[in-house]
Amino acid sequence: MRIIVQCSAVALGLLAGSQANAAPADPRHYETELMPPGFQVLASELEGPVFADTSGKTLYIWPLNKIRNGDIGEAKGKAPTCSDEVQRVNSGFMSPYPAGFDLPELDRRPSCTQEWPPVIAGANAKPVGNFAIVEGPGGRKQWTYEGYPLYTSVRDKLPGDVLGSAGRQTGGGDGGVYRRPVTPKANVPPAFEVFTVQAGRLVGVSSGYSIYTSDRDGVHKSNCDALCAKTWRPVAAGELAQAKGDWTVFQRAPGLKQWAYKGKPVYTFTGDEKERSYQGGDEPGWHNVWMQQAPPAPAGFSVQDTHTGQVLASPNGKTVYFYSCTDDAHDQLLCDHPGAPQAYRFAICGGGDPARCVKTFPYIPAEANAKITSRAWSIMWVDPQSGREAKADQSGALRVWAYRDRPVYNFAGDKQPGDVEGDAWGEFNGRKNGFKAFWLRDDFDRNGE
Amino acid sequence: MKRVMLAAATFAALGGGSVFAAEPDGITNRTISYVLTDYDFATYQTPDGKTECPDGYNDGPRERFERYFPKDGPKGPLLGAQIAREGAIWGPTMEDEAIPFKYAQGKVAIGLNLDGKEGPNDFVSPEGEKGVDNQLYRALGCVVNRRAPGGSLTVFVTTFMQRYNFNRVLVEITDVDSIVDDDDVTVTTYRGRDALMVDAAGHFLPGGSNRADHKWGKKFISAFKGRIKDGVLTTDPVAHWYMPAKYTFQDVTTRYFRDARFRLSLTPDRASGLLAGYSDVETWYRQIIRSLSTHHLSYGEEYAPPLYRALNRLADAYPDETGRNTAISSALEMNFVRVYVTHPAKAVAANEDAAPETNRAARAADRR
Repeated sequence: MRIIVQCSAVALGLLAGSQANAAPADPRHYETELMPPGFQVLASELEGPVFADTSGKTLYIWPLNKIRNGDIGEAKGKAPTCSDEVQRVNSGFMSPYPAGFDLPELDRRPSCTQEWPPVIAGANAKPVGNFAIVEGPGGRKQWTYEGYPLYTSVRDKLPGDVLGSAGRQTGGGDGGVYRRPVTPKANVPPAFEVFTVQAGRLVGVSSGYSIYTSDRDGVHKSNCDALCAKTWRPVAAGELAQAKGDWTVFQRAPGLKQWAYKGKPVYTFTGDEKERSYQGGDEPGWHNVWMQQAPPAPAGFSVQDTHTGQVLASPNGKTVYFYSCTDDAHDQLLCDHPGAPQAYRFAICGGGDPARCVKTFPYIPAEANAKITSRAWSIMWVDPQSGREAKADQSGALRVWAYRDRPVYNFAGDKQPGDVEGDAWGEFNGRKNGFKAFWLRDDFDRNGE
Repeated sequence: MKRVMLAAATFAALGGGSVFAAEPDGITNRTISYVLTDYDFATYQTPDGKTECPDGYNDGPRERFERYFPKDGPKGPLLGAQIAREGAIWGPTMEDEAIPFKYAQGKVAIGLNLDGKEGPNDFVSPEGEKGVDNQLYRALGCVVNRRAPGGSLTVFVTTFMQRYNFNRVLVEITDVDSIVDDDDVTVTTYRGRDALMVDAAGHFLPGGSNRADHKWGKKFISAFKGRIKDGVLTTDPVAHWYMPAKYTFQDVTTRYFRDARFRLSLTPDRASGLLAGYSDVETWYRQIIRSLSTHHLSYGEEYAPPLYRALNRLADAYPDETGRNTAISSALEMNFVRVYVTHPAKAVAANEDAAPETNRAARAADRR
């Protein structure tokens, strides 16, 4: 299957190209639950329905996770650790480097709560459903979800923005401990799960394997015979299985019930070699099932085959890269955007030299007539010398493409479409402070997930 | 012959294995194939290492960092420490650090004579063969990571081979009548898609099957002409040879050799020997730093920037327009077990659309 990153703006209720506020998420796509007064569930382009506070700001949690030399984050049911104190030295959690060195740009470094404002509970707030209240540093009352303290991100500007977790693809383990948006449970039967991957929200069975539909099938009618079913295993529904949202149960044969999505029978593919696979979709007439597909890349961008899967390419045919960074401080602040210290990125792409950086990982220029068709993709002016955002009339400023509010890049070492020589470029395979290719598919590993 | 071959491939793809019974020497339908189980860059070692590394071994990233920033000393800005050290890895220069790099000494190295000459910088093999070209050994010989049995990479590479199907290298020998003597065989390499077969103790077993990857793996398909004499397969060089090399976390890197050729001892169940050629310096360096983080390189006390400088200084082939050599003579020691390679019928039928090297491979398959 060739992955097509296509528009889902209509389904999201977003107005393409506009800066309109996000619409409430379609209640058919998630399980409704009790929320504090004023809280809401909004549609987002990549993560699907997300919880938001009364002002529409997406809610985040920071679950404890291990990195190389220890655990960082917040433990379930415990008091929040994100405080007003500005971290001044590195934590030493990233082997082989020890702790105690002064972090960059200390004079302008924000505190954890400046970057991640706690979601404060009012004096009369009462726990409701999965939402409870915990006391944080300084005696503040803070909302929690399933035991994890809730925050918003200063990176989010509009309702439905989820810009505080742009490193989702590279997070976890040595990639740094990222905050993640809080999402309601997907409205799928217990046999299924929705996986947020680079290309959208993919549906699979709860063990992680993808499900597929066939063009040969009708509504509640499977044309996959016994021989076909050896390759395409019908997803069986138990005797007590109940229809839910777009999911229904039909009788495949006497005594055999099968699940259907929007009326189409669903199957797993015995040829899938890994979870969240697209291999079944390579077979003519068979398709992966998506709850939502990622918004389209800008005009002129394309999908290119590599030696392991597929990547997004810019109009010159070369692979698109994004930069990921969390700093090695106890509060793990993001350093992957133009507002953060650029010394991290300059070290990785230019040995500390911004001019060399621009040659090694050049920005992807936006044509003068380029159009924005989603909120995930935007156009940004940057000063290549400082790496910071610039004004349009600033001398030397470049007008470049950005994904999730971060510039994207090519790699000078890539010579032809499908080359990924700049992938895994930086600390810890490019996941901690470095560059990763914009993977859409990887049949051998988890790139793109 | 094509129809027969397609039927065989289809049958095999359906799990039926070969339609032809293997002969005692392992040849089936004039074909014998092997899958790579483990490998490493050839590093000649004396028991105590004092001959080739009289000044000891090189320090790794952790040891070097501690020498520049002693544990009990002042710390200072991260910018001049971790960030600068990482910057030196990802943007290496030819300027040496205060701590010198130790090159392997001596005249003995494992490898092949790549240029057909005996030059002043050439080695003699442990068996006495002269003219061996392996300048990469000078760079790697005193790096702990590369020395068996304790070197971290020498241990982990087997794990990586077993863990990741991305790394599967298949060698298919066609037009073969005998694995002892045959003066004209074709050797085609593919990337495989399947796991290695192991016993309960983790030892690699011959006799499994593996699918050649014609979908994503075109880059890894190359055809060599060769001959077998006294059980040793020797091939002519191919201009470009790529090898998948995945180590740790979501890295999908490759090795790139120029003038690559095999010399392998064959048995019905196993093959072992060398792949030698000129490693592209930039690709070699990028592969190691993209696949192994500074943390992982610290296990084996391998610090990358001095290696970059050593590779460039020792490079002995393929000069660029400025005269600077861009490739370095090198050799991989490799071990294989016999495997049945299966090809999807579509890949063979569509050979006219494939890369030239793929075409040759498919035509070779047609002749079976």
